[in-house]
This record gives sequence, C-alpha cells and structure tokens, in this order.
Amino acid sequence: MIGAVNLSAGYGGTQVLSAVNLSVGAGEFVAVIGPNASGKTTLLKTLASLLKPLSGVVYLDGTMVSKLRARQIARLIGVVLTEQLRPTQLTVFEVVALGRYPYTNPLNTLSETDSREVLRALADVGIEHLAARRFYELSDGQRQKVMIARALAQEPRVLILDEPVTYLDPRARVEVLLTLKRLSKERGVAVIASLHEVELALRVADRLIIVSGGRVALYDSPEEFVARDGPELLYGLGGETAFSPELMSIEFRPPNNGGPRIFVVAGGGSGSLVYRMLARLGYRLSTGVLHAGDIDYYLASLLGGRVISEKAFHPISPEKMQQALSEARDCQAAIYTSPPIGPLNSENRILAEEIARQGPPLIVFGNAVIEGAIARVDDPAALPELIGRALEDGLEARPAAVRR
Amino acid sequence: MSRRLDRLFGMASELPKTNNIHMLLLISVPVTPLFIASIIFGSYSITPWDALMAIAGRGTAESSLIVNSIRLPRALAALLGGACLGVSGAILQALFRNPLADPYILGVTSGSSLFLALSILTGSVLGLWSPFSPYSLYLAAFIGALMVVILMVALSGVVRSTTTILIIGLMISYLAYSLTSILHVFVDIEKLRALVYWMMGSFAGARWSLLSPGIPVLAIFLFTVVLLCKPLNVLLLGEEYARSMGMSLGRMRMFLVAAAALPVSVVTTLSGSVGFVGLSAPYLARQLTRTSNHFAIIPASALLGATLSMTADLISRLALQPIEIPVTAVTALFGAPLVIYLLLKGRGVQL
Repeated sequence: MIGAVNLSAGYGGTQVLSAVNLSVGAGEFVAVIGPNASGKTTLLKTLASLLKPLSGVVYLDGTMVSKLRARQIARLIGVVLTEQLRPTQLTVFEVVALGRYPYTNPLNTLSETDSREVLRALADVGIEHLAARRFYELSDGQRQKVMIARALAQEPRVLILDEPVTYLDPRARVEVLLTLKRLSKERGVAVIASLHEVELALRVADRLIIVSGGRVALYDSPEEFVARDGPELLYGLGGETAFSPELMSIEFRPPNNGGPRIFVVAGGGSGSLVYRMLARLGYRLSTGVLHAGDIDYYLASLLGGRVISEKAFHPISPEKMQQALSEARDCQAAIYTSPPIGPLNSENRILAEEIARQGPPLIVFGNAVIEGAIARVDDPAALPELIGRALEDGLEARPAAVRR
Repeated sequence: MSRRLDRLFGMASELPKTNNIHMLLLISVPVTPLFIASIIFGSYSITPWDALMAIAGRGTAESSLIVNSIRLPRALAALLGGACLGVSGAILQALFRNPLADPYILGVTSGSSLFLALSILTGSVLGLWSPFSPYSLYLAAFIGALMVVILMVALSGVVRSTTTILIIGLMISYLAYSLTSILHVFVDIEKLRALVYWMMGSFAGARWSLLSPGIPVLAIFLFTVVLLCKPLNVLLLGEEYARSMGMSLGRMRMFLVAAAALPVSVVTTLSGSVGFVGLSAPYLARQLTRTSNHFAIIPASALLGATLSMTADLISRLALQPIEIPVTAVTALFGAPLVIYLLLKGRGVQL
C-alpha cells in the first residue's frame, strides 16, 4: 500500500532519519513510537508528502509519490496533524466537507457522492450528532474526531496521524484509538499513527515502527518487538522504572531508601493492587509464596520485591514455607491479600496464620478470616492508614519478639 | 446538498446554509440607501429627483455638474473601494490566519502610496512616463502593494508572533510615510496637493478619468474572487492541512497575494490610504453570519466594506461642513478600538 525505499528525511538539509525501508499494507494499524525529537513527525510528514525526502522514494500502490500531483496524493493519503487549530466558526459538517477538496469543483458544490462520503465519514467516526455544531465549541477529543472524519472524507487508502491522542483525556484517548483500529479493518485503510503511549501502542497496534537514534525499524507485531528488543531500546528504562514483557506494562520501582519492609502473602493476581500501592508509597516489598508464572510473581519481581517462589503447579514445599516465614519475620508488617486457595497453595493460608502468631502485625485485605490478624479491610483506600498503624504496633511489639 | 440524504440523516434543518443567505440579504440592505445619500448630500444638497434627472442627462447645468462629475464618481469610488478593501482584508486574514490582518495595518496601503509618490516624482523629474496617467498610477500602486504583501508573507513564515507582524507592518507604514514626506520636498505645490490626498485618504478626489480604468478591474475582481473561497476555507485549517488536502500551496499563495494587493492598489490610487475597513468588514461579517465559511464571508465583507466606507465618506464630508475630514480619521474611530479589543482577546478570536 504505502512504503519507503532507502528514504532519508529531514528539514532544510539536516538529515534526521536515514535508510528507512518499510511497507504498510491495507487494513493494518501501525503505531510509530519513539522518544521525543526522534523524528516521528519527520517520518510521518515525509510519508505524507508534506516534506520532500532528502533521498530515496515513497511509493503508493507501486507508484512513486513524487510522480503524483497534490490532488492525486490527497485522494490517497489523509493526514491528521498534531498542531492545535485556531478556533473557527465552521460547522463540523463544513470542516469534514473540506476533506472533499481534491474531488470538488472550484465553487465547492457538493455532489451527491460528496455528501454521501461526508456523512459516511461522520458516521464512521461516530459524530453524526455533532454535524451542525461549530468547531470551536467542541472538546479536544471531539475536534480530533472531526479532523479524522475530515481525513476520511478524502476517501484515502492511507491515514497518517501525528500523535492523534496526545492532547486528549484518557477516555477520549482510548475512544479515538479504538475508532482508528476499527476504521483500519472496516475500510481497509492503512493507518499509521505516532503515539507517545507505548503501553497503548503495544495493546492496539498490528505492527510497530520504532524511531530512535536516526533509525527506523519495523516490527511485524508488538510481541516481536517486546521479545526482540524491548522498550529499553526506546526509553533506556532501568533503575526506577521497569518494563515487563509478560504484562506489557511499565512499572515504577520504589526507591531503595531503606524504608519499612512489608511482607505480602498473595497469589493468583490478588496481590497486584497491593504491590503497586506499596511501591507508590515507598515501602520495600517481600512476598511469597508465589508460583512462578503467576501475575503476582511477575509484578512483584518487576517492582523489585524479594519474591519467595515455588515451581509452577507444584505444591508449596516445607522449605519454601520456612523461607517465607523467616522473611516475614524480618519485615515490619504483613498483609494477607485473600488469594484463592486450592490444593497447590493451601500452605499460604497456614503461612498467614503463622505470621499472625509469631511475625509482624498482619492485616487481612479481602474476605479471608485469619485468627490473630490486627485488622481486616475490603476497601483498598483504607490500607495505607492501617499499614501505618501496623508499623507503629510493630515497633512496640519488637521487645517481645526479641524476648522470643 | 441532496435533500433526500439530509432527511435520511435528519439534520438538514440544522445546516446553517440558508441562514447565511438571509443574513447576506440583510447586510445588503443599507448599501443602496447609502449610495443614494452619497449622491444627494454634501456641501450642496440635491433632491433625489434632481439627481435622477442629472444622471439621466436632463438635469440643470449645475446639478448635472455636481452629480455626474463629483458625487457619482465619489459614491462609486466609496462603494467599490470599500467592497474591495473588505474583500482584501478577508483574504489577508485567512492568509495570515490572523483576524488583525488588514491592508492598512500591514502597511500594504502605505507601500502602495509610497510607490505612487515615487512614480509621480521620477515621472515628473525624468519625464520617462506621464506621472498622472491613470495607468502609471495604478501600476505603481499595484507594484507597491504587491511588494509589501510578499514581504509580509515571507516574514510571517519566520516570525510566528502576531504582534510582531503587526508592529513590522506599522513600521513599514512609517517608513513609507517618511519617504513620501521627503519626496514632497521635491514636488511643486500643485503636485503636493495631490500627494497629500493619497497620504490622508479621501474619496473626494475620485474623477472619471481615474475611475474608468479602475472600475472594470474592481468589478471583475469582485466577481472572480469567489473562486478563491474554497482554498481560503481550507487555509482556515493551516497551510499543512491545506497541502495535505491537495492544495498546491505555492501557486495558491501567489494568487491570494495578488488578489489581496490588487484591490488595495486600486483603492489607494483612487482615494489614498483608507484604513481599518479591511479589518472591520470581515470581523463584522463573521460576527453577523456566525460562520467562517468564505462563501459567506467574502460577499458579506464586500457588502459591509462598502457600507462602512460610504458611511465614513458621508461623515467625513458632513460632520464639519464645509471642511472635510480625511476618511481614515473617521474609520479609525471604530477601527482602532477594534484592533485593541482583538489584541486583548488574543487567540480566543475565531477566524
């Protein structure tokens, strides 16, 4: 559909990208990701023929774009730019109808086909109800949808969008991305969109283009990218941030500042919320006994916690139990996250009871009943305060622990 | 727009097209009465009947002279000149995507009058061309206007700030003013009077000899400018969007620059620097029609420009009778506060 061969791109003689080779087919949703100022916009504008390539060619359906006239290109490529528009009193219908520019006569009379395409574009983006509204009255998310509908009214084969969701609130962000994804399938349009949100890109895109250090790499799937290079390539993550290929998420590790250490008895995903909360509040994390491959296992490791783990689908062994208990005793507080209990992890419940008896103060989060726990809560919002109280109790209880 | 499709999607009634036409009709109402008033009122009042007889060629010698040689060309100059300034302002505002753009503020008018003065001076000193022939006047004014618009377009590519562009425009005006003043020294009293006209702005100097080559140009311009409405609409979204929708920007910019400069040069030749009409007419047009669609804005700007300039002309000759005030002194009374208001409102102003 659209492709580039040996493309070099840049502004006014300054080369930003070189040796770009890629090709995107009909119906594909391709996300372009890369750090700020890496050349994403340059790449997109060059593909859209808004910038002349320094060398190499862009081709559309096997035709070199440089051989096409502006009007012909506009019938093949629709563009949505990142810049905020000056407010205009044009109605939504009028703005979308501007997309018929390469089809209409100089008096801009809309033929039946033109009107039909405008209405189809409005409907495809789901903004028919806004048609008579004035553009300046709309929210950012609505404006972005109008600009997408306008690009669609060009009946393009390729849709190129520069950071289409950057200025949008989270909900509008997801809406616009899903709309684009749906359009790529329903209309068979090749969609190429640069995104700042790596996690969204990994979840929504069919393929990925990574722009970094003057190079452009095309991956056939987000999974391929994650498996081969990982986002370290992109953002040089490390230290306090970490990326999990299994969860496709970026996590923030708590700084290792010797804060209180908290033991969490979890498993089966019941610990995720508590782990992130502890990391955010700056506590150090120990947890167990987790089965390898459990979501809790990946997340706790990612957050830099000490994880006592058992082989996947094996019953928890007495050694691991012992190890977990002694780790828990070194912590200042403990939380039991009420994991689902079955034949392979029933020891975790016993572990919690042991901690309540001989370890630091234990809080139960969820519906489990553990004898000797200092509190039980269902509301996660109540946890931070309880942890604070448990830590104070732990300090008072310390002489007793020493006596033992 | 197909009715059937509209009904299908149930929104035909909400599309504001018909409102625009009603508003345009409403805006055109004052034009004719003002034109008649321009012929009737003045230091010597003439009854409508006498004016009609004079135009028909059956009036008294006195009324015939006043109506046909003075009032009619003056009214026509104010009508067409105002319409053209309004259109030129609308084009400049879309081109610069700036509601403060106006031929007077951007210095286009001054550039035009500077070249007029230069042409008159060099023409009369060197004797290479007849300095007061309408064609050399129009040509000189057009070159001057064109050069300033091109300069401002080039600058707007480098300078992004609205205020900077406006200040540069003002400075170009001062520069032109100063050069024109220096040129005065070299011109004898007779010619000086003519030059002062061009500097201050007044429709009183409009004569058939100057008008007759200008009128067809202005009339053709006013009818062909409708062809620019489509690209002007696309330019509302910015130059890159315009290009992405298939507009060849370079060529279109040339057309627009010429289309903005041409009417200004004709008006300057006819009546000197008439300020603020090009600023106010498009602004009022957008306020009244509540749209940015140039298919409505351009005709509305023309009608409102004509209304404003004819009103200003009437005030200029009637307010302090028998003394005439320069037109720009009148237009500045509403134009200058509008500039200040728009500056204060900043980016919130819709284009």
